[in-house]
Amino acid sequence: MSDVLVVDDDPDMAAFLARMLENEGMRVACVPDGCQAMAQVGKMPPDLVLLDVMLPDASGFAICEQLKSSPVTAMLPVVLVTALDDSASRVRGIEAGADDFLSKPVRREELIARVKTLRRLHQTRRELEARRLASEVQRKEALRKAFSRYISPRLAERIISDLGEDGAPFGGEPQRVNVVALFADLRGFTRLTESAGVEDVVSMLNQYFAVVTEAAYRHEGTIFSIAGDSLLIGFNVPFPQPDASSRALRAAQDMIVSFAPVLEHWTGQGGRPTGIGIGIASGEAILGNIGSPHYMSHTIIGDAVNTAARLMQMAQAGELLMSNAVHHAAAGAVPAGRIEPRGNLALRGKSEPIAVYSMRP
Amino acid sequence: MNNNAYQVTVARDLEDLIPVFLRNRKKELETLRAALAAADFEQLRQLGHRMKGVGNSYGFERVSVLGKRVEDGARSGDRASLEDCIAQYEDYLARVQVAYE
Repeated sequence: MSDVLVVDDDPDMAAFLARMLENEGMRVACVPDGCQAMAQVGKMPPDLVLLDVMLPDASGFAICEQLKSSPVTAMLPVVLVTALDDSASRVRGIEAGADDFLSKPVRREELIARVKTLRRLHQTRRELEARRLASEVQRKEALRKAFSRYISPRLAERIISDLGEDGAPFGGEPQRVNVVALFADLRGFTRLTESAGVEDVVSMLNQYFAVVTEAAYRHEGTIFSIAGDSLLIGFNVPFPQPDASSRALRAAQDMIVSFAPVLEHWTGQGGRPTGIGIGIASGEAILGNIGSPHYMSHTIIGDAVNTAARLMQMAQAGELLMSNAVHHAAAGAVPAGRIEPRGNLALRGKSEPIAVYSMRP
Repeated sequence: MNNNAYQVTVARDLEDLIPVFLRNRKKELETLRAALAAADFEQLRQLGHRMKGVGNSYGFERVSVLGKRVEDGARSGDRASLEDCIAQYEDYLARVQVAYE
């Protein structure tokens, strides 16, 4: 079943064309002018338009041009119906983008042959377009999957959608943002690597990273870097999260708790005592592409990031240290009494000691 | 004009459309007359153009032939020819016989 729109102000001509096409099993709608033709195409897009060149309100050429200039209807085949001896109209029709011509008086064999051929062509074009779109979607999906193994799924989504628009992900200028930075590492792991075999180290690191990255994603953090056994996760970037501090706290808790069974397994195998240490700090940072055109890192830098790194270094295995601002913003996210003040601590690279709070999930 | 000229054979699948088609031709005849009386040559040209297209599509060759002459007469402003065409059209429409096959 297919739909043909007949645009002709002569009711006898329209009735004739409709009858011929209906005899071939096509569904036909008839309208008498260009205005109604455009309305009908918008309402119920046909598979083909049979368009008379002489219409009361606009020329068939103008309607044809209008159809061909919109991306939605450009693919719709248009057959211009002209007088037999009117070669000037044919030239204008070609200029207007018509797909074919039909002469009046209309010979039924010619009408059917032209309509059928064009419809087949149109259908083939549409199938090709659908296949092209499907493969594009598949390609994007594969890209998204591959990306998501390295960066957070939401970030991957944004990079891919940016790629679709102008080809330059994070094309904008670096921006100042408020972040909650979370640093995690495996306390004592450096010592452990000295005694363990290479394969063991890689396997242990992978188990550890599986736990922490999954926890990060569960709380919609963005992983900005992994270096050695330490991991930098940002909250409130690149997407705003009003509850960023609470999220960071819950992510940290989740990491330590989820890591417990892994740790138990390691200890059972005679491994050295270790555990995750976490530092969280909040404040202003710069979000942007840092590096060279050959090696780019989309990351956050700034005081909050440095403070989080220092706090992580001071944390013991299984401990989470947070700055005053994070404690203030997120204390409600954990049961009362779970967070203890650790007093004012002097952090390396900081002139003033800062108030630090500790939590052991 | 011999009588064969008034015999028209139309495809069976158009049969139910023919009464409307012929009614519209008679209306067209009146419009042609009015247009000629008003010396509206542009309207006459358009009417002729339409007759030319629709006539033969239905199998009424004579309608197309007269349509072409009306169109040409309107272009050149040939009143006498237009009057003759309209008279012939009237005669034709009064006497045309339609057979279906």
